[in-house]
Amino acid sequence: MRHSVNRPPTPDAAEDQEKEPTLQEIINIKLIESGEKERLMELLRERLTECGWKDEMKALCRAFIKKKGRNNVSVDDLVHVITPKGRASVPDSVKAELLQRIRTFLNSAAL
Amino acid sequence: MSASREDNTSPDAQLSSHFFGDLLDSIVVDIASECHRIAKLGLDRNLEDEEEELRLSTQARVRAADPSNSGETNSKYVVDIFGQTHPPVANEIFDCMNCGRSIMAGRFAPHLEKCMGKGRKARLKAARSSTAAQNRYSRGSPASTYSPYSNSTSTNRLSNGSTGVAGEELSNGTSEEP
Repeated sequence: MRHSVNRPPTPDAAEDQEKEPTLQEIINIKLIESGEKERLMELLRERLTECGWKDEMKALCRAFIKKKGRNNVSVDDLVHVITPKGRASVPDSVKAELLQRIRTFLNSAAL
Repeated sequence: MSASREDNTSPDAQLSSHFFGDLLDSIVVDIASECHRIAKLGLDRNLEDEEEELRLSTQARVRAADPSNSGETNSKYVVDIFGQTHPPVANEIFDCMNCGRSIMAGRFAPHLEKCMGKGRKARLKAARSSTAAQNRYSRGSPASTYSPYSNSTSTNRLSNGSTGVAGEELSNGTSEEP
Protein backbone atom coordinates (compact mmCIF):
# COMPACT_ATOMS: atom_id res chain seq x y z
CA MET A 1 0.00 0.00 0.00
CA ARG A 2 1.32 3.43 -0.81
CA HIS A 3 1.77 5.69 2.15
CA SER A 4 0.68 9.21 1.50
CA VAL A 5 3.52 10.68 3.53
CA ASN A 6 7.02 9.30 3.72
CA ARG A 7 8.44 9.58 7.19
CA PRO A 8 12.04 8.98 8.08
CA PRO A 9 12.46 6.19 10.63
CA THR A 10 12.28 7.31 14.25
CA PRO A 11 15.81 7.58 15.61
CA ASP A 12 16.75 5.15 18.31
CA ALA A 13 16.81 6.60 21.82
CA ALA A 14 20.02 4.81 22.74
CA GLU A 15 21.93 6.20 19.76
CA ASP A 16 20.87 9.71 20.51
CA GLN A 17 22.39 9.94 23.95
CA GLU A 18 25.90 9.28 22.72
CA LYS A 19 26.04 12.25 20.34
CA GLU A 20 26.27 15.85 21.42
CA PRO A 21 23.55 18.12 20.13
CA THR A 22 24.77 20.18 17.18
CA LEU A 23 24.56 23.93 17.09
CA GLN A 24 21.67 23.67 14.75
CA GLU A 25 19.73 21.47 17.07
CA ILE A 26 20.39 23.72 20.02
CA ILE A 27 19.17 26.77 18.18
CA ASN A 28 16.19 24.86 16.90
CA ILE A 29 15.19 23.97 20.40
CA LYS A 30 15.61 27.56 21.50
CA LEU A 31 13.50 28.76 18.61
CA ILE A 32 10.72 26.40 19.48
CA GLU A 33 10.79 26.90 23.20
CA SER A 34 10.73 30.67 22.95
CA GLY A 35 7.80 30.52 20.58
CA GLU A 36 9.78 32.38 17.94
CA LYS A 37 9.59 29.57 15.44
CA GLU A 38 5.79 29.71 15.55
CA ARG A 39 5.78 33.46 15.07
CA LEU A 40 8.21 33.23 12.18
CA MET A 41 6.08 30.56 10.58
CA GLU A 42 2.96 32.71 10.83
CA LEU A 43 4.79 35.69 9.41
CA LEU A 44 6.08 33.70 6.47
CA ARG A 45 2.65 32.20 5.79
CA GLU A 46 1.08 35.64 5.80
CA ARG A 47 3.66 37.13 3.45
CA LEU A 48 3.48 34.24 1.03
CA THR A 49 -0.32 34.37 0.89
CA GLU A 50 -0.32 38.14 0.35
CA CYS A 51 2.00 37.99 -2.61
CA GLY A 52 0.03 35.16 -4.30
CA TRP A 53 2.72 32.54 -3.88
CA LYS A 54 0.37 30.19 -2.10
CA ASP A 55 -2.20 30.42 -4.91
CA GLU A 56 0.48 29.68 -7.47
CA MET A 57 1.46 26.56 -5.59
CA LYS A 58 -2.15 25.44 -5.29
CA ALA A 59 -2.60 25.94 -9.02
CA LEU A 60 0.45 23.78 -9.67
CA CYS A 61 -1.06 21.09 -7.48
CA ARG A 62 -4.44 21.22 -9.26
CA ALA A 63 -2.79 20.98 -12.67
CA PHE A 64 -0.74 18.00 -11.57
CA ILE A 65 -3.77 16.29 -10.05
CA LYS A 66 -5.85 16.86 -13.17
CA LYS A 67 -3.12 15.33 -15.28
CA LYS A 68 -2.52 12.27 -13.16
CA GLY A 69 -6.08 11.70 -12.05
CA ARG A 70 -7.13 12.47 -8.53
CA ASN A 71 -6.95 8.93 -7.30
CA ASN A 72 -3.33 8.42 -8.28
CA VAL A 73 -1.77 11.27 -6.32
CA SER A 74 -0.05 11.18 -2.95
CA VAL A 75 0.97 14.07 -0.68
CA ASP A 76 4.54 13.14 -1.38
CA ASP A 77 4.05 13.61 -5.11
CA LEU A 78 2.65 17.05 -4.53
CA VAL A 79 5.52 18.01 -2.22
CA HIS A 80 7.97 17.00 -4.90
CA VAL A 81 6.06 19.01 -7.47
CA ILE A 82 5.95 22.16 -5.39
CA THR A 83 9.30 22.27 -3.61
CA PRO A 84 11.69 23.20 -6.44
CA LYS A 85 9.33 25.76 -7.96
CA GLY A 86 8.35 27.04 -4.53
CA ARG A 87 11.87 27.67 -3.34
CA ALA A 88 12.75 29.50 -6.52
CA SER A 89 9.73 31.75 -6.61
CA VAL A 90 9.69 33.21 -3.11
CA PRO A 91 9.88 37.00 -3.55
CA ASP A 92 13.20 38.50 -2.50
CA SER A 93 11.62 40.97 -0.11
CA VAL A 94 9.88 38.21 1.78
CA LYS A 95 13.02 36.16 1.99
CA ALA A 96 15.05 39.13 3.18
CA GLU A 97 12.54 40.00 5.86
CA LEU A 98 12.51 36.51 7.28
CA LEU A 99 16.27 36.12 7.16
CA GLN A 100 16.63 39.39 8.99
CA ARG A 101 14.35 38.30 11.77
CA ILE A 102 16.11 34.97 12.13
CA ARG A 103 19.47 36.65 12.34
CA THR A 104 18.16 39.00 14.98
CA PHE A 105 17.02 36.07 16.98
CA LEU A 106 20.34 34.31 16.62
CA ASN A 107 22.12 37.36 17.87
CA SER A 108 19.79 37.87 20.77
CA ALA A 109 20.06 34.24 21.76
CA ALA A 110 23.82 34.50 21.49
CA LEU A 111 25.50 31.56 22.97
CA MET B 1 29.55 33.94 18.21
CA SER B 2 30.04 37.26 16.49
CA ALA B 3 30.39 36.44 12.82
CA SER B 4 30.43 39.40 10.44
CA ARG B 5 27.21 40.13 8.65
CA GLU B 6 28.74 40.89 5.27
CA ASP B 7 30.07 37.40 4.79
CA ASN B 8 27.49 35.38 2.94
CA THR B 9 29.01 32.07 3.77
CA SER B 10 29.37 32.84 7.46
CA PRO B 11 27.89 30.30 9.78
CA ASP B 12 25.38 32.93 10.73
CA ALA B 13 24.03 33.34 7.22
CA GLN B 14 24.08 29.64 6.59
CA LEU B 15 22.18 29.00 9.75
CA SER B 16 19.57 31.59 8.91
CA SER B 17 19.13 30.12 5.45
CA HIS B 18 18.81 26.70 6.95
CA PHE B 19 16.01 27.77 9.26
CA PHE B 20 14.31 29.70 6.51
CA GLY B 21 14.34 26.58 4.37
CA ASP B 22 12.95 24.65 7.27
CA LEU B 23 10.01 27.01 7.63
CA LEU B 24 9.39 26.93 3.89
CA ASP B 25 9.35 23.14 3.83
CA SER B 26 6.75 23.02 6.56
CA ILE B 27 4.53 25.45 4.67
CA VAL B 28 4.96 23.47 1.44
CA VAL B 29 3.90 20.26 3.17
CA ASP B 30 0.84 22.08 4.53
CA ILE B 31 -0.19 23.29 1.08
CA ALA B 32 0.41 19.88 -0.49
CA SER B 33 -1.61 18.18 2.21
CA GLU B 34 -4.49 20.63 1.80
CA CYS B 35 -4.62 20.22 -1.98
CA HIS B 36 -4.41 16.47 -1.61
CA ARG B 37 -7.34 16.48 0.79
CA ILE B 38 -9.47 18.66 -1.45
CA ALA B 39 -8.76 16.47 -4.45
CA LYS B 40 -9.48 13.20 -2.68
CA LEU B 41 -12.68 14.42 -1.09
CA GLY B 42 -13.88 15.82 -4.40
CA LEU B 43 -14.36 19.28 -2.93
CA ASP B 44 -12.84 20.98 -5.92
CA ARG B 45 -15.95 21.50 -8.06
CA ASN B 46 -14.07 22.69 -11.12
CA LEU B 47 -12.04 19.51 -11.31
CA GLU B 48 -15.16 17.40 -11.03
CA ASP B 49 -17.18 19.34 -13.56
CA GLU B 50 -14.48 19.16 -16.17
CA GLU B 51 -14.03 15.44 -15.64
CA GLU B 52 -17.76 14.93 -15.93
CA GLU B 53 -18.02 16.96 -19.13
CA LEU B 54 -15.07 15.15 -20.64
CA ARG B 55 -16.68 11.82 -19.86
CA LEU B 56 -20.06 12.80 -21.27
CA SER B 57 -18.59 14.21 -24.46
CA THR B 58 -16.55 11.10 -25.16
CA GLN B 59 -19.65 9.01 -24.54
CA ALA B 60 -21.68 11.11 -26.96
CA ARG B 61 -18.97 10.91 -29.56
CA VAL B 62 -18.89 7.15 -29.31
CA ARG B 63 -22.64 6.99 -29.70
CA ALA B 64 -22.60 9.28 -32.72
CA ALA B 65 -19.84 7.38 -34.43
CA ASP B 66 -21.53 4.04 -33.82
CA PRO B 67 -23.12 2.97 -37.14
CA SER B 68 -25.55 0.50 -35.58
CA ASN B 69 -27.52 3.26 -33.93
CA SER B 70 -29.10 4.69 -37.08
CA GLY B 71 -30.65 1.41 -38.21
CA GLU B 72 -32.59 0.67 -35.07
CA THR B 73 -36.35 0.87 -34.91
CA ASN B 74 -36.23 3.26 -32.06
CA SER B 75 -34.20 5.72 -34.12
CA LYS B 76 -37.31 7.88 -34.16
CA TYR B 77 -36.56 8.70 -30.58
CA VAL B 78 -32.84 9.36 -30.85
CA VAL B 79 -31.50 11.48 -28.02
CA ASP B 80 -29.70 14.65 -29.00
CA ILE B 81 -26.71 16.22 -27.24
CA PHE B 82 -28.90 18.01 -24.74
CA GLY B 83 -30.62 14.80 -23.78
CA GLN B 84 -33.92 15.71 -25.42
CA THR B 85 -36.05 13.53 -27.69
CA HIS B 86 -38.32 14.83 -30.43
CA PRO B 87 -41.34 12.95 -31.93
CA PRO B 88 -40.99 12.16 -35.64
CA VAL B 89 -43.97 14.36 -36.58
CA ALA B 90 -44.34 17.81 -35.08
CA ASN B 91 -47.51 17.69 -33.05
CA GLU B 92 -48.33 21.26 -32.11
CA ILE B 93 -51.86 22.26 -33.21
CA PHE B 94 -52.92 25.64 -34.58
CA ASP B 95 -55.48 27.19 -36.96
CA CYS B 96 -55.01 27.42 -40.72
CA MET B 97 -55.21 31.05 -41.82
CA ASN B 98 -56.81 30.10 -45.14
CA CYS B 99 -59.70 27.87 -44.21
CA GLY B 100 -59.77 28.33 -40.43
CA ARG B 101 -59.52 24.64 -39.53
CA SER B 102 -57.40 23.22 -36.69
CA ILE B 103 -54.31 21.67 -38.21
CA MET B 104 -51.42 19.70 -36.75
CA ALA B 105 -48.07 21.36 -37.47
CA GLY B 106 -46.53 18.29 -39.07
CA ARG B 107 -49.48 18.00 -41.49
CA PHE B 108 -49.66 21.67 -42.36
CA ALA B 109 -47.85 21.58 -45.70
CA PRO B 110 -50.02 18.84 -47.22
CA HIS B 111 -53.07 20.62 -45.90
CA LEU B 112 -52.05 23.87 -47.53
CA GLU B 113 -51.60 22.08 -50.83
CA LYS B 114 -55.20 21.02 -50.81
CA CYS B 115 -56.47 24.14 -49.19
CA MET B 116 -54.84 26.72 -51.42
CA GLY B 117 -54.95 25.03 -54.81
CA LYS B 118 -51.75 23.21 -55.60
CA GLY B 119 -53.42 19.77 -55.58
CA ARG B 120 -55.50 18.17 -58.42
CA LYS B 121 -58.91 18.36 -56.81
CA ALA B 122 -58.46 21.91 -55.71
CA ARG B 123 -57.41 22.96 -59.18
CA LEU B 124 -60.48 21.35 -60.79
CA LYS B 125 -62.66 22.93 -58.19
CA ALA B 126 -61.28 26.32 -59.05
CA ALA B 127 -61.54 25.72 -62.81
CA ARG B 128 -65.15 24.54 -62.50
CA SER B 129 -66.13 27.59 -60.62
CA SER B 130 -64.56 29.86 -63.27
CA THR B 131 -66.33 28.11 -66.23
CA ALA B 132 -69.63 28.30 -64.37
CA ALA B 133 -69.18 32.01 -64.24
CA GLN B 134 -68.54 32.14 -68.02
CA ASN B 135 -71.67 30.04 -68.80
CA ARG B 136 -73.88 32.34 -66.85
CA TYR B 137 -72.93 35.24 -69.11
CA SER B 138 -73.15 33.41 -72.42
CA ARG B 139 -76.85 32.21 -72.28
CA GLY B 140 -78.23 35.66 -72.79
CA SER B 141 -76.81 36.26 -76.32
CA PRO B 142 -77.65 33.98 -79.33
CA ALA B 143 -74.19 32.74 -79.48
CA SER B 144 -73.56 34.16 -82.94
CA THR B 145 -70.17 35.15 -81.86
CA TYR B 146 -69.30 31.61 -81.05
CA SER B 147 -70.30 29.79 -84.22
CA PRO B 148 -66.97 29.87 -86.03
CA TYR B 149 -65.37 28.50 -82.92
CA SER B 150 -67.11 25.28 -82.36
CA ASN B 151 -65.02 24.13 -79.46
CA SER B 152 -65.73 26.73 -76.90
CA THR B 153 -69.06 25.70 -75.45
CA SER B 154 -71.41 22.88 -76.15
CA THR B 155 -74.66 24.85 -76.02
CA ASN B 156 -74.53 25.79 -79.71
CA ARG B 157 -74.38 22.35 -81.13
CA LEU B 158 -77.72 20.66 -80.68
CA SER B 159 -77.82 17.63 -82.97
CA ASN B 160 -80.72 15.80 -81.43
CA GLY B 161 -83.69 17.58 -82.82
CA SER B 162 -84.52 19.92 -80.10
CA THR B 163 -85.24 23.35 -81.39
CA GLY B 164 -81.82 24.75 -82.04
CA VAL B 165 -81.11 28.35 -81.92
CA ALA B 166 -79.57 28.33 -85.36
CA GLY B 167 -82.62 26.58 -86.88
CA GLU B 168 -80.86 25.17 -89.89
CA GLU B 169 -81.53 21.56 -89.32
CA LEU B 170 -85.06 20.20 -89.55
CA SER B 171 -86.42 18.26 -86.65
CA ASN B 172 -87.10 15.26 -88.82
CA GLY B 173 -83.57 14.67 -89.39
CA THR B 174 -83.89 15.14 -93.10
CA SER B 175 -81.84 17.85 -94.44
CA GLU B 176 -82.14 19.31 -97.86
CA GLU B 177 -79.15 18.96 -99.98
CA PRO B 178 -78.58 20.56 -103.25
